[in-house]
Amino acid sequence: MKNKEEEYKEIFLAEAMSNFEEINRLLTNLEKDAKEKNTIHSLFRITHTLKGNAAGMGFQGIAELAHVLEDLFGEVRDGRISLDTNLFTSIYKAVDILGDLINAVKDKSEVKYKGIKTKLEVLIKRAKEDNNQLNKSSEQDFISAPGDDLNETEDVNSPGEMNNKLSFSDLVQVPVRKLDNLLNLVGELIIEKDRILASQAGGLRASNEYARLSRISSDLQYSVMDVRLVQVGFLFNKFHRVVRDAASSEQKNVTLKLEGTETEIDRNVLQVISDSLIHLIRNCVGHGIEAPEERKKAGKPEAGVITLSARNETDAVLIEISDDGKGLNYDRIKSKAIAKKLITEEDASKLSKDDLSLLIFEPGFSTMDQVTSISGRGVGMDVVKKTLDSIGGTIQLVSHEGQGTVIQLTLPSSMAVKSSLLFELDREVYAIPLAYTESVISLYKSDIHKAGGGLVATHLGKNIAVVFLNDVFDQNIDLLGYQQNILQKSFDKIHMEQKLEIVVCTFNNRTVGFVVDRLLQQKEIVEKPLMRPVDRIKFISGVTILGSGNVCLVLNVPHLLQFIFSLSTAGKNAKTFNLN
Amino acid sequence: MAEIKKTKEQSSSTRSLQIVVFKLGNEEYGLQIDQIKEVVITPNITRVPQTPSYVKGVANIRGNVIAIFDLEDRFNLERTIQTQGSKYTLVVESEDVKMGLLVNAVPNTVSVNASDLDETVGIISDANADSNYIKGIIKSGNRLIILVDIFKVIDHEMTSAIKKATVAA
Repeated sequence: MKNKEEEYKEIFLAEAMSNFEEINRLLTNLEKDAKEKNTIHSLFRITHTLKGNAAGMGFQGIAELAHVLEDLFGEVRDGRISLDTNLFTSIYKAVDILGDLINAVKDKSEVKYKGIKTKLEVLIKRAKEDNNQLNKSSEQDFISAPGDDLNETEDVNSPGEMNNKLSFSDLVQVPVRKLDNLLNLVGELIIEKDRILASQAGGLRASNEYARLSRISSDLQYSVMDVRLVQVGFLFNKFHRVVRDAASSEQKNVTLKLEGTETEIDRNVLQVISDSLIHLIRNCVGHGIEAPEERKKAGKPEAGVITLSARNETDAVLIEISDDGKGLNYDRIKSKAIAKKLITEEDASKLSKDDLSLLIFEPGFSTMDQVTSISGRGVGMDVVKKTLDSIGGTIQLVSHEGQGTVIQLTLPSSMAVKSSLLFELDREVYAIPLAYTESVISLYKSDIHKAGGGLVATHLGKNIAVVFLNDVFDQNIDLLGYQQNILQKSFDKIHMEQKLEIVVCTFNNRTVGFVVDRLLQQKEIVEKPLMRPVDRIKFISGVTILGSGNVCLVLNVPHLLQFIFSLSTAGKNAKTFNLN
Repeated sequence: MAEIKKTKEQSSSTRSLQIVVFKLGNEEYGLQIDQIKEVVITPNITRVPQTPSYVKGVANIRGNVIAIFDLEDRFNLERTIQTQGSKYTLVVESEDVKMGLLVNAVPNTVSVNASDLDETVGIISDANADSNYIKGIIKSGNRLIILVDIFKVIDHEMTSAIKKATVAA
């Protein structure tokens, strides 16, 4: 908790310092050209922001002084006070003290600000009473202004110019673009390192120099990645408002609880999922939490609680959104899915609750019969899932009727570098992100059996579907119509004694073992997106350049699995069609 | 050749076009020089699934991973390019697309008069070539060069790629 507060303070300070510098800059501009309206407007705005931030952080002094300055600039803006040298002197003085106050937050020193504050207040008051005689009398009024006499003299002693030492913030604001660039360069460096290594076959790999180079480059990589990490709290804190707005328009009573806000995650990941999170939370308010009367009847407190929590797990960040609402209505999901032809009635009875939960992420699915402004437009949950797929995240949903729903998002903590398994297939090298791989097994052909249109093997007591990646890649997409035994083609060709290397992949509760030609190594890769005109290839999520300079394709596991399973349902449909 | 130039110059514009000429099948094809970025020795090409046969794959050219096309395959011409070890790759670039074309030899550059370009030829195109990527025919001496707008070819590629993506999904 303490750390979090410290961090907020640091951020406030950085912002306040830049505000302070901006005020100084604008003031000097204003002194040169007092008629420039825009400058006044900016000053008004900045002091207003500073006031708000300071009040939020509980720094009374800064807030009060900024408030007076804001008023003053407001009066100037509205033409009730005209600017002259005297006024500028006092404004500069006030701004200097504001700077001192900001610094005082850091070193906890005491700064007296009441005097200058009162001075400005009197000025504003006078301006309100009578703005005609202001110019003449202002100076005298200053000195005889009521207020703390002691402070007054101190204020007069402290010079109006900036001859006190310049202060610098300990934080640097960097545009994300520059960080992206930096990370790209680090990626190139690593590729280049591998390349040099590959060209210097033998000897070098074991040498000290190589070990050092590897260590430094991987340290560099992780430091750059670390710079890009931000606390999820920054995003989570924005959701108070989202929940409030959604709840008030639905006339529900909802409170939001945040947990684990100090968890760190790559800034880009956070950006990508922010819309999805908003959607999920609105869904919780719209679908999950019941209306107050309904809750009373069910014996729950009137106010529903949505908990948003985050925590780190080895290579991932888990974000959980849970509510204490009515939970999923599985019967409704079932009938809806049948009505929308997502599943057949026959399938519906076989599906487990987990499978049913997954249905709500199918495109065009929405259980709300009515469309409300908050949720239920039927777009959304599938978009959420696609967004997560695109960054290699997963979504899981657990629900207990009457007790609420928990949605769990597993997100990669960084997007740039992926640990991957390299393998060879038909003389090309492919990479498969370790995030999706479960295990690597080797089986003989005799261990694999034909079942239906596909292949099945038993491993550690579990039945897994086996697919020859070649068969999938060989698909002629123009002839995509279901062909009999499409996924058994390579299997039929191989020798009975052949040993097969299988990479078992899981995604969204679907498990498939991919047969590959040869397993190579495990490697951290920097994935680059495919460029036009081949950017629409779905099986490949990106490419990376190997040490040899050759291009290695990175498999898009979510899409591959989706394709394989849609193929089997397509087959099913074709069969039923034939029967008719 | 000089003669032709002279007479044409008198009748119409004197603007000259720089055309990069390469052989595909038994014909000579040309591209406007400003569409071409460089000619490199063909690097190792990685085949990519889900692509039509004329997309040979992707290759690493100076740190950029770009798609490599075989236009002979695309235009259904007689194959003279060896898929394995075809020597040169012509890198073409527009604002948003960068790609490589396989060629057998280093292309040569020809300077022709703008009036030598006949853009109005009625070319009988096969029914499914719905994009008109042939810009015109250049007659230069006794050579006949087919000027193509490579990005029209690619635009067509992309729309069909979209179609495929929707079918697959």
